[in-house]
Amino acid sequence: MATLTRQDLNFGQVVADILCEFLEVAIHLILYVREVYPSGIFQKRKKYNVPVQMSCHPELNQYIQDTLHCVKPLIEKNEAEKVVVVIMDKEHHAVERFVFEISQPPLLSISSETLLSHVEQLLRAVILKISVCDAVLDNNPPGCTFTVLVHTREAATRNMEKIQVIKDFPWIVADEQEVHMQGSRLIPLKTMTSDIVKMQLYVEERAQKTS
Amino acid sequence: MSRDGWRKKASSDDGWGGMGGYMAAKVCKLEEQFQLDAPREKQKEGGSSSIFSGVAIYVNGYTEPSADELRRLMMLHGGQFHVYYSHSKTTHIIATNLPNSKISQLRSQKVVRPEWITDSIKAGRQLSYLQYQLYAKQKGLSFPSVCLRKLDQQELAGASGHHHSSSSSVVCREGLPVKPSRGPPKPSHASPGAGPPLLQEPLAEQSQVSPRPVSSDAAHGHKELELRVNGSLQNPKGGGIRLNGLHGEDQWEEHSSTSGRAKESTLTNGHVHPFNGALKPTDMSLHPGGLTQEAQPEQRDSMSTVSPERSPYYGPRTPSPIPPQQPRVSPVTQHKHNSDSPNTQRQVPPPASPTNQNASTSSDLTPARPHPPDQGSRGVRLNGSHHSSGPSHNHTHQDLSDQSGKPATRGAEGGIISEFYSYSRLHHISTWRSEFAEYVNSLQCRRRATGGAVFSGKERLKKLRAQRSSGLSSMPAPQVRQSCILHVDMDCFFVSVGIRHRPDLKGKPVAVTSNRGPGRVAQRPGANPQLEFQYYQHKRNQHQQKDKMDGDLEMTPSPEDIDEHRHGNGMDQDQASLSMAEIASCSYEARQAGVKNGMFFGQAKKLCPELKAVPYDFQAYKEVALVMYETLASFTHHIEALSCDEALLDATALLAEVGVTPDELASAIRADVMEKTGCSASVGMGSNILLARMATRRAKPEGQYLLRSEDVDDFISDQAVTSLPGVGRSMGSKLASLGVTSCGDLQQVSMARLQREFGPRTGQTLFRFCRGLDDRPVRSEKERKSVSAEMNYNIRFTKVEDAESFLSNLSMEVQKRLQGAGLKGRRVTLKVMMRKPGAPVEPAKYGGHGICDNLARSVTLGKATDSGQLIAQEAIKLFHAMRLEVSDMRGVGLQVQLLDGGPQVQAPPQDSRCSIRDLLLARRPPHTNNTTITSTSSSTPAPSTARPDADAMPSGSSSGSSSNQDTRSSSMPPPTSFSDPIPSTSKGEPPPHTPNHARSRLNLSIEVPSPSQVDRSVLEALPPELRQQVERTWSRREENEEQPGASCSSPVRPPPRASACASPPPPEPPPPPGTLLLQIPNQTGSTGIILALPDFSQVDPEVFAALPKELQDELCSAYNRRESAQPQGTEVKQKNPLLQLKQPAAGRTKRRYKKRDASPAKKGPSPLKRLHPATSPAKSSPSKPTPPPFRLKDDPSGLKTENGPSSSSMKPDVPEVLSKFTPRPAPTLAGASELSDIRTLLREWVTTISEPMEEDILQVVKYCTELVEDKDLEKLDIIIKYMKRLMQQSVESVWSMAFDFIVDNVQVVVQQTYGSTLKIT
Repeated sequence: MATLTRQDLNFGQVVADILCEFLEVAIHLILYVREVYPSGIFQKRKKYNVPVQMSCHPELNQYIQDTLHCVKPLIEKNEAEKVVVVIMDKEHHAVERFVFEISQPPLLSISSETLLSHVEQLLRAVILKISVCDAVLDNNPPGCTFTVLVHTREAATRNMEKIQVIKDFPWIVADEQEVHMQGSRLIPLKTMTSDIVKMQLYVEERAQKTS
Repeated sequence: MSRDGWRKKASSDDGWGGMGGYMAAKVCKLEEQFQLDAPREKQKEGGSSSIFSGVAIYVNGYTEPSADELRRLMMLHGGQFHVYYSHSKTTHIIATNLPNSKISQLRSQKVVRPEWITDSIKAGRQLSYLQYQLYAKQKGLSFPSVCLRKLDQQELAGASGHHHSSSSSVVCREGLPVKPSRGPPKPSHASPGAGPPLLQEPLAEQSQVSPRPVSSDAAHGHKELELRVNGSLQNPKGGGIRLNGLHGEDQWEEHSSTSGRAKESTLTNGHVHPFNGALKPTDMSLHPGGLTQEAQPEQRDSMSTVSPERSPYYGPRTPSPIPPQQPRVSPVTQHKHNSDSPNTQRQVPPPASPTNQNASTSSDLTPARPHPPDQGSRGVRLNGSHHSSGPSHNHTHQDLSDQSGKPATRGAEGGIISEFYSYSRLHHISTWRSEFAEYVNSLQCRRRATGGAVFSGKERLKKLRAQRSSGLSSMPAPQVRQSCILHVDMDCFFVSVGIRHRPDLKGKPVAVTSNRGPGRVAQRPGANPQLEFQYYQHKRNQHQQKDKMDGDLEMTPSPEDIDEHRHGNGMDQDQASLSMAEIASCSYEARQAGVKNGMFFGQAKKLCPELKAVPYDFQAYKEVALVMYETLASFTHHIEALSCDEALLDATALLAEVGVTPDELASAIRADVMEKTGCSASVGMGSNILLARMATRRAKPEGQYLLRSEDVDDFISDQAVTSLPGVGRSMGSKLASLGVTSCGDLQQVSMARLQREFGPRTGQTLFRFCRGLDDRPVRSEKERKSVSAEMNYNIRFTKVEDAESFLSNLSMEVQKRLQGAGLKGRRVTLKVMMRKPGAPVEPAKYGGHGICDNLARSVTLGKATDSGQLIAQEAIKLFHAMRLEVSDMRGVGLQVQLLDGGPQVQAPPQDSRCSIRDLLLARRPPHTNNTTITSTSSSTPAPSTARPDADAMPSGSSSGSSSNQDTRSSSMPPPTSFSDPIPSTSKGEPPPHTPNHARSRLNLSIEVPSPSQVDRSVLEALPPELRQQVERTWSRREENEEQPGASCSSPVRPPPRASACASPPPPEPPPPPGTLLLQIPNQTGSTGIILALPDFSQVDPEVFAALPKELQDELCSAYNRRESAQPQGTEVKQKNPLLQLKQPAAGRTKRRYKKRDASPAKKGPSPLKRLHPATSPAKSSPSKPTPPPFRLKDDPSGLKTENGPSSSSMKPDVPEVLSKFTPRPAPTLAGASELSDIRTLLREWVTTISEPMEEDILQVVKYCTELVEDKDLEKLDIIIKYMKRLMQQSVESVWSMAFDFIVDNVQVVVQQTYGSTLKIT
């Protein structure tokens, strides 16, 4: 890592790697914290030097991995505006949306420290925030499911439709009901600003979850 | 610089180990070698002899034949050749030229010219050396002192680079061909791997030079060395300053290493160096440490005897041993010294007694240059030439030859700047203005101090009036108190002063100019006056055609003059050779002949052959001006100094009091002035400044004219538009194109039209002026907006270093001025005039700048400074960022703006607060003795007599930078202290600072509101000591209120000013205009400079007029742009925020972003500006001396750069990347962006105020909105929660309402942005 130079490094890729890694951890954690899946399928792991929960359900893991695998090229090109983990009730209406709003600086500058320690600290903070977010959120109704949405910038969607990164893992345009909630409230969780990426995480929560 | 390392190196590895071991061996070896070589050589050569047996020569410096050849000759002819000088063994020293230090050092030796050897060989016998002695007088002298120095004493930087180079040359020689067998020339003990970079250069060169040196080039080489020393001395950015520092160390060094070292500064050849302190004798002397190993014993002795009596530090004290040679000071050397030390005048004048062999060398060094017209330039040039003799050998030579060839003018340094300023008439005149402003201020102070001054003039008037009224029983009592302004202007001031003691010149055409000759000068090579003339002509024509030029204000005082002057100077071929010295002033007789001020003398002489030239006499001008001001001050203290010979008097009160008519007053003044100065003055009177000034025109010469209000209309409609202030050439021509030539015509033009043509502001001003309306007050105390030093005469640099050192020196000048005015500034602007591409290299005017492009760059410092070094540092960075061709530089100026630390100026009259403030200020006690009571700061009681900057001192000195402002803000006593005596530069007038400035000002104003405005409950909640303090303030205030007249005598707010405030001036909105960005295109293609423009009304016309044309145009268009943008802004502000906020919030922020993108460093009008005054009421505690937000704002990591290039120059490693990465800074509230600071700020706000002000709320909303846009919801969330806690806890329901209001607004924005609202728990 220390020997990285500007020339031989694709910054977009680096950023995408870092972010996707993080998103994976975050999604697992959200699923755990928001009790979308029974806590039995989660194991305690250590990431960013803090304990996190990770599911050991292979299919779930595969789904998350595939999803992020497809998201990665978007992040690489700075085409993903938001990555949203939507938690839906039985009627497939969104009750909570964990929004990772990502913006990358137009020009990247990386030094090894910013890559390693600083970003890690920031990400750790976000993770910690997620793990305590149940304190500020109302309980979800039972039987929730989740889905991952990506808000792309500009015409990236069309490319995604054309080129499937993973076979048989197509992306579709999200349903209105997944995207919008009625009377939602916004709970900012964490904002991180680093040299390579600026990301803020907030939760949109439906006013009445049990309706 | 790693001086230390260097010293260590020099002392430890120098191979001198104990002075003798190594050298002794080496010399022995060399001798052996010589002996070995000799037979071989003899064999080869054939004709050998032994004529030189017993002779051992040592070659010093350059000789002809070379040292190498001499060595060979000595071999052939039985002599000895010493590579190292040995006192005991060497019998003869061969040299053609020696520096004086050597001379004194080698006094006891036979120093002969090399011809002695060659001639002896020719003659076949050893000739007497006497007639070959280098110095004829030498034999008569026998001084015992031969000195040596240890080498390790010279490891100092800068000056000692010279030592090193010289000694290294010695060393190199030693290792040279002399001894091929010895392997590579020993790189010398002096060779500094770890040497300071500065030294590297000379050394490197030296080693190039020295391969020769087996032959003796000592003398010559020495010269080079000296010059080089200069170069290296100048290299360090600090220039002179630095140098001194070095010297300090140097001396210390010498002290500390006294042991076996002698201070010789013996002279051995023609050059006597008049050391003047900058260079010590030791610096100039060669250090023959290497030569001496054999002589050590006795030398040690002599050293010990010699050194005590010779002060090591002061060259001049050196017993100068060889009187006849002393005078041979070549000007060059002399000026070398000049350049090194600012005090130029100490040397022996350079007489010429070229008596000896040095003639050849020195003749090209002592150039017989034509004497430039005035002394000032002479110094300049000489210095300049030196200046250019940089570290490089080549340069030196080139320059020297240059110099002798033609009178090359060179940009200067060192003393030159002060010298320039002591001769520049513009400088004089400009400084006078401020001096007299100061003078007026000091009068005010004195009056305040003594509780009323004696107005002798007034008394006399009263008497006069008394006499009259006794005769005439009923003089109509001064009717309605109508304001009356007197404009007193001396008649052709320079001339009348110049001839006041020369009655023979009275009534003759006389001009004051620097030219004293017939008005003709030879044309210099490289100059092309025609071309320049064409350029100006062209430019002028362009102006006339360029009608669409948006209302440019040409604040030239006498526009026609310039116009004419361009005409008048219209020269054709044959006139090109006429003198281009400008006429500063000419008598009325000369004016009749068509001579104008500003005309070139040569041209004037043609028009008026009997024109007499009178030289400048600055001293006299000053005296006379001072007398004039004293005279005026004997009548009233309501004086505004306009220039050295021009002042405005507000005589309203005076007339009312004394009961005389304006005419009587004017006559009295004129008579007084005439009597005391012998020069005549004209007085114009009118009801406002404009009319008074216009009346003066009518009054001139030697007259007075009262423009009665009933005559105004008639009078003014006849005036040419160009006689209105602010109407310059270009505006005049534009008006002419509208068919307007007189004010009468102008009155016919509608305001709308004018505003359309010239922009709202200018249009309105014109509209009013042409009706004789003018509401500018007479401002007896003025604020300085900037302090600058500029020089665009004789700037010719050859190298970057030259420019750097010039900048350093200029910075010192600025420092001097800043300190003189007791100010510190935060923005440094570097202005550079570059030769316009294609313009002739030599301008028509001697030493002038010719046709130039003006460039400017500025940088804002993190804190205010008056340190020349700091300024220099920044200026040099700016300079580098501009990447200019130094040789094309024609003018350099440094300006420091955003001044503070001066007398604290109150905030600009703003919104509603203005009135309250006024009230407070008006009630403010007139005397100063009670300031300490209110001074809330525990530490600094702000002595009432403190100079403006003094209150910053106590802490500034100890705790350094950022605390400066803090303490000041805390130590700044509540309003009372405004009254303090110091007004040195200003006070009462609307502070014309840029928004930035205003912000910083506001920090400082912490006031105690009147009791009625303070919520008792809040007061009671305060800690007891705080409460007491507040109460004390009140009680004292009440006392003061009882003092009558306090408010009216208040200089801070002179009555006219207040009225100006009240009367609706232009509908122009008083609130801070926001930050307006001015883009100045520049060549280097960077973002350009972004400046915050002050309100137009605050632009000093003079300053404006002094700006280069291009800048003026820029400014004008920028103002126009702003004016068109302003209306919306005002609307928004004037409405009730509760009604309008919701939608505008987003819109406004958008606007702000636009601005911000252009300038990362500007955050628009600082929220603090709003927030702060509101925060103040309950008197923020003394226990909390620094509200954190201020700190945050005041020490933002050193520097804020405002333009790309300079920023890159400051952080060379992190260039554009950074700036692009953070196109806009984090949103700030009152300058604070850190959460903790914002919390503090909010807490203060909520806890200290009973009722929040709308603007403050809006600021918070705005900040929150920005957070949303900045995608920092987390912070927003925290802040809102924090506010919620704070405000809902507050007793006052207003706060809850305020919170609700804020939240509502923020929610709207959040809703718009995110589609949902914040959950507020």
